[in-house]
Amino acid sequence: MSILLNGLTGAQAAQAALGATSQNVANAMTPGFTRTGVLLGSMQTPQGGAGVQVSKLLRFADSFKNVQLWQATSQLGQYSAGQSYLTQLEQVMSDDTANINNGIDQFFAALNAASVQPESGPLREAVLTAADGLVKRFDSLQQLFTNQQTAISTQRDGVVNQINALTQDIALLNKQIAAGRATGMNDAGLQDARDEKIKALSSLASLQVVDTPDGAKSVSLKGGQPLVVGADAATLSTAGPGVLNLKFANTTFTITDIGQGGQLGGLADLQKQVLGPMRTTISELALGIGNAFNAQLALGFAPPAGTPGAPLFDTSGGTLKMTGITASQLAFSSSPTVSGDSGNLTALIALKNRPMTITTFDSAGNAAGSTQIITGDVFTQLVGKLGVASSLNQASQKTATTVRDQSEEDWKSSAGVNTDEEAINLMQYQQMYQANMKVVAVANQLFDSTLQMLG
Amino acid sequence: MRIASNQYHTTMNSALQAANEGLTHVMQQMASGQRVLKPSDDSIAALRLARLSREEAALGQYRDNIGALQSRLKTSEVTLDSIREDLQATRDLLVWAADAGNTGDDLNAMSGSMKTLHDSLLFLANSKNAEGRYLFSGTASDQPTVDAGYNFLGNSQTQDVAVGDNLSVGGNVSLEGMGAFLRQLNALQGQLATPGVTAEGVHADVTAMIDALDLTLGDVAGKIGQLGGRQNILSTMDTNHASVSLANQQSAIDLGQIDYGEAATRLNSYALALQATQKAYAKVSQLSLFDAI
Repeated sequence: MSILLNGLTGAQAAQAALGATSQNVANAMTPGFTRTGVLLGSMQTPQGGAGVQVSKLLRFADSFKNVQLWQATSQLGQYSAGQSYLTQLEQVMSDDTANINNGIDQFFAALNAASVQPESGPLREAVLTAADGLVKRFDSLQQLFTNQQTAISTQRDGVVNQINALTQDIALLNKQIAAGRATGMNDAGLQDARDEKIKALSSLASLQVVDTPDGAKSVSLKGGQPLVVGADAATLSTAGPGVLNLKFANTTFTITDIGQGGQLGGLADLQKQVLGPMRTTISELALGIGNAFNAQLALGFAPPAGTPGAPLFDTSGGTLKMTGITASQLAFSSSPTVSGDSGNLTALIALKNRPMTITTFDSAGNAAGSTQIITGDVFTQLVGKLGVASSLNQASQKTATTVRDQSEEDWKSSAGVNTDEEAINLMQYQQMYQANMKVVAVANQLFDSTLQMLG
Repeated sequence: MRIASNQYHTTMNSALQAANEGLTHVMQQMASGQRVLKPSDDSIAALRLARLSREEAALGQYRDNIGALQSRLKTSEVTLDSIREDLQATRDLLVWAADAGNTGDDLNAMSGSMKTLHDSLLFLANSKNAEGRYLFSGTASDQPTVDAGYNFLGNSQTQDVAVGDNLSVGGNVSLEGMGAFLRQLNALQGQLATPGVTAEGVHADVTAMIDALDLTLGDVAGKIGQLGGRQNILSTMDTNHASVSLANQQSAIDLGQIDYGEAATRLNSYALALQATQKAYAKVSQLSLFDAI
């Protein structure tokens, strides 16, 4: 009788193995699918062998490789988040016809041209036109910064919403997996789904993931603030620039999004380390030019008016604007009576090479003192800095991409399906099934022979 | 190492993406002729290019100024030259008037010619530019050089025009002495026009007038010389600026322009890598045990 039963267990085990193989082949292209297999063990009784049993359904997951993949995904998210903004800034700011430098050049060129005939109406008009052009360039660059700011804060809101949705999903999956464990259900699909969610979450922020004995995974931010504990999820909300509120079980933490890694941290880094300092410098340049110019104009005269020169720029609102003075009001003369004098115009032209005070920033984007840079070089240096920041970010992004690809490959090397391997399994388990059915047939023949002998 | 089947697809995708990225970049470079498309491609070169472009802008403006200034100086020079010719003609007339053999009628007739020359000189001294500014009144260009009372209302200051960094050249000369000279000439002309005038009676005034004229003529010739000197400085400056500009443009080409040979080689190697990857993928993806069973 044991031959028949042995054959039966073998056929059943082969069927289970074929089931796992077919599942693997079916999901060969499914993202995040972890291949499965069966662990066979022989059954022994004191009377002898009692066949084979499927002692365990295997899920070829490697938690270490998972962690590596998640970390690499966070890194990539961090460097990818800011790159599109950096590229846009680079393109706009280095465009030689539209950038601030060009505006400054044209403005000083108009002043230089006016020195040929300082009392000439058309040449003075050209100075006003060039000044207006410069103001408009500053305007449009500051508009670009504002637009980027808006885009970043919208993207940040989106990231926070995604984080909330994903943590809810992970918490729900934790609950289902824990419940399944208690009833002995196969939870391979749930685990795959949860790992994919964690991977998606890790692209948004750097995570710490801890396994708990009931099969749940606890997820927290890099700094340890909890996002998911068992079946409970935290809720993240934005609270002003750089500040987030994290609500978990009626407790609210205030955290900063700087250094959180992933897209969240990447956007915060971009804002703090690149955009903030650049906006400050551009504003200092605009106001610096405006104030220096107005101060020099006030030292001159525009005969026949015997009063000191009127300001050309309005810097009162923190941005550069035109005051609307007319061409004849430009104080190019250093004498209150002589209209063809160009003494003050020469002084105005010399402003191009006069240093202005510009705030310096450390690599974290905090103000770290100030430096003197000549007017004509401030923007050039700024574009240089932007270029360096962007190329560093691109290099980091490239490295992160390689590391992520490598981690993905590592992860697939254990969890991914190899169809050739499955083909072999298919043949082997088919043969095993056929052999066991043969055993059943032989047992049947033996049984028949015995019956005939008795008959 | 164990390789998952869909790893081939991923690898192929990454390789395709990398090759396409490289191809796009090199094609953009070739299309624009620029090696540095954005500052991050080569931030140092981008910085130097920006500075070169600043310097080029300044040089261009200085050269424009030189051109405008040259034409302005030329106008002054031509006018002064006419003044010199008129003064010369006046001198010839005065020398004739100094001849003791002249009758009263002769002198009366000369006064007519002298009046014409006086008016011409007065007009030339008060020359204006297209915007109505006096050429020879110094920086007080809204004041006439010689007013109705023969007073010089201008000043002797020059309008300095920027033609280089911290370098300027005067754009005007003043005719300070013209008023006094013309007043004297006008008085003499009045004397000569008086009926019954005698050569002897005006001899001393005519001689004094010749001395004054010689002084003025010397002064005008000196101004013409000054203008010529400035023109020379301007030509030299222009040549210097042109040389520096040429050197800058050369540097800009070296820094920023693409080397088409090198770019073509790069294009080929990207294309080759892409083709090889595609072929390898086609081969590998044909291999499946399922085809054999």
